[in-house]
Amino acid sequence: MTLLSVENLHVTFDTEAGVVEAVRGVSFALGRERLGIVGESGSGKTQTGRAVLRLIRPPGRIRADRMVFDGQDLMAAGERDMRALRGRRIAMVMQDPKYSLNPVMRVGHQLMEGLRQRDGLSRRDAHAKAVEALAAVQIRDPARVMEAWPHELSGGMGQRVMIAMMLIPNPDLLIADEPTSALDVTVQAEVLSILDNLVRTRGMGLIFISHDLRLVARFCDRVLVMFKGRIVEELPARNLMQAQHPYTRGLLDCLPRIGGPRTPLPALDRTADWAR
Amino acid sequence: MALIEIDDLSVTFAARHREVQAVRNVSLAVDARESFGLVGESGSGKSTILRAICGLAPISGGTIRIAGQPVPTRRGPGFSRRVQMVFQDPYASLHPRHTIDRTLSEPLAIHGLPDTDARVVRALTDVGLPPAFRFRFPHQLSGGQRQRVAIARALMLEPEILLLDEPTSALDASVQAETLNLLNRLRAERGLTFLMVSHDLAVIDHMCDRILVMQHGAAVEELPREALAKAQMKTDYARSLFAASADRLLGA
Repeated sequence: MTLLSVENLHVTFDTEAGVVEAVRGVSFALGRERLGIVGESGSGKTQTGRAVLRLIRPPGRIRADRMVFDGQDLMAAGERDMRALRGRRIAMVMQDPKYSLNPVMRVGHQLMEGLRQRDGLSRRDAHAKAVEALAAVQIRDPARVMEAWPHELSGGMGQRVMIAMMLIPNPDLLIADEPTSALDVTVQAEVLSILDNLVRTRGMGLIFISHDLRLVARFCDRVLVMFKGRIVEELPARNLMQAQHPYTRGLLDCLPRIGGPRTPLPALDRTADWAR
Repeated sequence: MALIEIDDLSVTFAARHREVQAVRNVSLAVDARESFGLVGESGSGKSTILRAICGLAPISGGTIRIAGQPVPTRRGPGFSRRVQMVFQDPYASLHPRHTIDRTLSEPLAIHGLPDTDARVVRALTDVGLPPAFRFRFPHQLSGGQRQRVAIARALMLEPEILLLDEPTSALDASVQAETLNLLNRLRAERGLTFLMVSHDLAVIDHMCDRILVMQHGAAVEELPREALAKAQMKTDYARSLFAASADRLLGA
């Protein structure tokens, strides 16, 4: 069943230097699966994720032939309808906990804010639920983290706090923008298994935006490779390592490998025909 | 004698209601021209060791010696001419309202070094940036270009030791490759000593001769590069770290 379908999505920004097209004609459909979007910075992967939530502010503009979430036309929805969807049905985990958590609010307070306001829980229930959410993302000492300020957390802890916060309302679709790039491999594996579990048990759809090809190959079902605002290749994640497009190949080949040679790593050739 | 010697180092932060020991009795030695890697998960204390060397973290026990001399409590200009640090986040480590020219010439002014213009131009050329970048602000640069500026800044005083705190983890794979190549070239050309922190075992393997695995602020296991690729680790924790990086192996 299709949860989200996007046809011919464009995101453009009017700047002093002219019109910048961040996303140029992206189309995809998502069921209850894990869809990976990979590409370098500036490839338009983040803007694609934000456009689904219509989180592009002027001077940015979104244009699409069709963008439908669970039968609801996102292009025609009013701001009030969008607000009802955001967080509750479609949640987004942002890239950087440093900029996405409120720096002058204790972590516990931030986690409980939604529970108190949106779900009308009592202080005590909200506290219990927040602690539970922190424990669910494998935070060792939830009581301490509840009392902490965001600047007292490491990047990995901050990222897990944000994931906990997004998962509390039980969304149908989670857009995760580089959710694990601030984490190290062991914690990354834990966070991915948490996300994986949610996709399987709750039937949640997941859009996983990342620059890490190996991670996406291992974790997702299907992958879109983006370059300069376009999808250059779409393939099943398990075949990503055998990708054919020269851009995808270039991204794979420039990664260092354990036990690999100490010679300079091959750089990506940006002058080739495909890059124009 | 090793160039960097750390003996029984402990770092303790005073948090609300309790003390947090970020580094517990860690010892390590890095030879001149060697590249030494620290790996471990977030909060394992690997970055704190680098910060402690620079005097940016409260040392509660142990000693740090550079070329046999204990580091002075106030690090001072002599220290900054020997040891420089490159931080993880190029978006946060450059002054947003200073031009690249000002960022690069400030250390020269502080240390009273001559030929500012020529040195700034040479520093930019060395890290592969056009000299015209002098007059730009950090926001006019990409992440990879900013990290190149951060490396250029660290090299302005021609130090022997570079402390690298996750220098490429904020960068794209292709830009990471370029930055790692740049660091390796500079190390070969200038005979630099690296003490590098990363959570990516493949990056550490590519860059470092010896590796110290850390967990919860303590040293778990030290191993040479060859042992990593052959999976010859002795402790369970190092093995689990290796297992989690299985997709980064050659041929994977």
